[in-house]
Amino acid sequence: MRIRHCLLIAGILLTLGLTAQNKQILYDFNEIPQSLSINPGVEADFEWYAGVPLLSGISAYGGSNAISINDIFANDGVDINIKFRERALNVLTPKDELSTTIQLEYLNGGFRSNDPNIFYSFGGYVEFDNIGYWPQDYAYLLYDGNAGQLGRRYDLGDLKVRGSMVNVFHFGINKKVDRSLTLGARGKLYSAIADYSSSTNNGHLRNVEGQNNRIATNLNADLLLRTSGLRSLRNANNDDSLSNEIIGRALFGGDLGLGVDVGFTYHLSERTTITGSLLDVGFIYHSGDAKSYSLNGNATVEGIEIDVLENFASLDRDFWQELVDEIEQIVPFDTDTKGYISFRPTKLYASIRNDFGEPVGNGSSQNCDCTAGSYDGGPLRTKYRNSYGGQLYMINRPRGPQLALTGFYTRRIGNALALKGTYTIDKFSKTNVGLGMNLQAGPFNFYAMADNLLSYNNIAATNYASFQFGLNIISWGRK
Amino acid sequence: MIKALRILVLVLVGFHLVTSCSEEQDFDQIDDLAIAPSYETSIFYVKAQETLINRVEGLNFFTQDFNFDAFEEPFFTKRVLAGVITYELENTTSKPIEIRLEFLDQAENVLDTEIFSMDAAPTAILQRDVAYGATGKSLDIIKTTSEIRLTAINLGDNTSESTIQDPAIVLRSSAQFTLELK
Repeated sequence: MRIRHCLLIAGILLTLGLTAQNKQILYDFNEIPQSLSINPGVEADFEWYAGVPLLSGISAYGGSNAISINDIFANDGVDINIKFRERALNVLTPKDELSTTIQLEYLNGGFRSNDPNIFYSFGGYVEFDNIGYWPQDYAYLLYDGNAGQLGRRYDLGDLKVRGSMVNVFHFGINKKVDRSLTLGARGKLYSAIADYSSSTNNGHLRNVEGQNNRIATNLNADLLLRTSGLRSLRNANNDDSLSNEIIGRALFGGDLGLGVDVGFTYHLSERTTITGSLLDVGFIYHSGDAKSYSLNGNATVEGIEIDVLENFASLDRDFWQELVDEIEQIVPFDTDTKGYISFRPTKLYASIRNDFGEPVGNGSSQNCDCTAGSYDGGPLRTKYRNSYGGQLYMINRPRGPQLALTGFYTRRIGNALALKGTYTIDKFSKTNVGLGMNLQAGPFNFYAMADNLLSYNNIAATNYASFQFGLNIISWGRK
Repeated sequence: MIKALRILVLVLVGFHLVTSCSEEQDFDQIDDLAIAPSYETSIFYVKAQETLINRVEGLNFFTQDFNFDAFEEPFFTKRVLAGVITYELENTTSKPIEIRLEFLDQAENVLDTEIFSMDAAPTAILQRDVAYGATGKSLDIIKTTSEIRLTAINLGDNTSESTIQDPAIVLRSSAQFTLELK
């Protein structure tokens, strides 16, 4: 029963909302090859690695900063209508978000060049990304309506949603410039399966006292919804060929785009290191199956208005249809199929790390050359048993950048096991404690990480949940 | 000893991760969620000036059928639970006036009639709320209304003129309807 609840809640969390997640545990966890994916300039000491297809990296995240599953669906005997009003409708604001990211890596590998200072990585993953903000005034209009609300301005700008499903191919270069500096860059080719966006809306709906009639209803709308791929997927679904359509659009049959990731690692001293990365600086041009819907204009109506004296000669007119036509002319609902450009949600990571304690493998059973900078007989960069530091994460969102700060502690136990604990503060949680584990068994590498662990005794009550895990084969053998 | 402690911590953390879960949730509650908003807007406004009334011989100075499809929209008729139409009648003419509003279906059968009688000016504005649904008239009247027939009857003379500026008989109306969206 508990497991069924877990799965159900996880499913709902993962379908709540769209944006890329903060992978604060994986960041700078350079025992794990996938750390290259969030900092192409990480210190990679692998000779080569190969991710196990479809298992090398799976991550998912779902969250809302202000409401949890438990708030609404707890079996507590309280009427759901009361819970919805008191815990959602009267509490949530347009700044509160519902978001989800699911990333499935199906190919990931890397190899060292003939130049031992250069490491290449490549791969592909599918990412479903969705973010929506609470459409407060739309919710009030839907739940309560506008009756008895003379003068109240319903803000149509409250609607901000964005989502995409993208297949990403990437190829990266990681170069150790000298003993202190490592740089990296990765090019990305996006093949978008589907995309939708409605994030530039403006306007309002308001009832005021009319000049002639009892009420004047004013609609001022500048609304736009852009979609791409949705019609193709819907048609394919009707023809029972949805899988083929998704695969076709994922393999360059959809909308294409380009992007780049850059990053670095720099040792300020023997034990102090700073890192940084900028991810997904890119765009996608949606042209093949684009369709946009817009509602734009400003109209004030007071119902059918008939001045008998003025209209005496034409009272047989269809006043109702004229009113409908006039509104449709002033506030037209248009569709078009022009292409558009969407920008990827760009992310920024930065960290400072201080190492302390004994060097890893010092007089112990080290059985691999996994000390950073050790390949090709170059100068050694010692790894230490302990590290602590702080990280910064920012992501570009429809309502502006979003920030997270993380403090972390990493403990390496021999060469087989490394643990990283994190504490993160952001808009979702102020009690987000995470834990990551990297286990090296010979060439096999397994990692798993999850955050917001304190909420796991009642996951339904959490505002946020995410996990990542993967399996790799790694070689540190010298060339 | 330290190694054993490490293993114990790992086991406990792993156990916590595996067994942690949630309080009992009842997702079937979503079936009980009721969404029934009420919307309000003006319906029609008719103004007939006293100069016009004086020009028309006979009692019945104005009769007109107006197409009114708003209530027939499927989205509306399938979801409407209740409603109130509010009328406001203002008479600034020198004559007593009677206004008859008839709701007609597509075959022009009269479904309902509202009659307003107004004394000659000066007189207060007449306001009337007509409810439809469980506490009022049948909702079927609203759902099947296709046209509104407006008849204005002059119960006075055709010569007098009010001293009030721009004398006229004015009918204002608005509607408030509750829809069952879920």
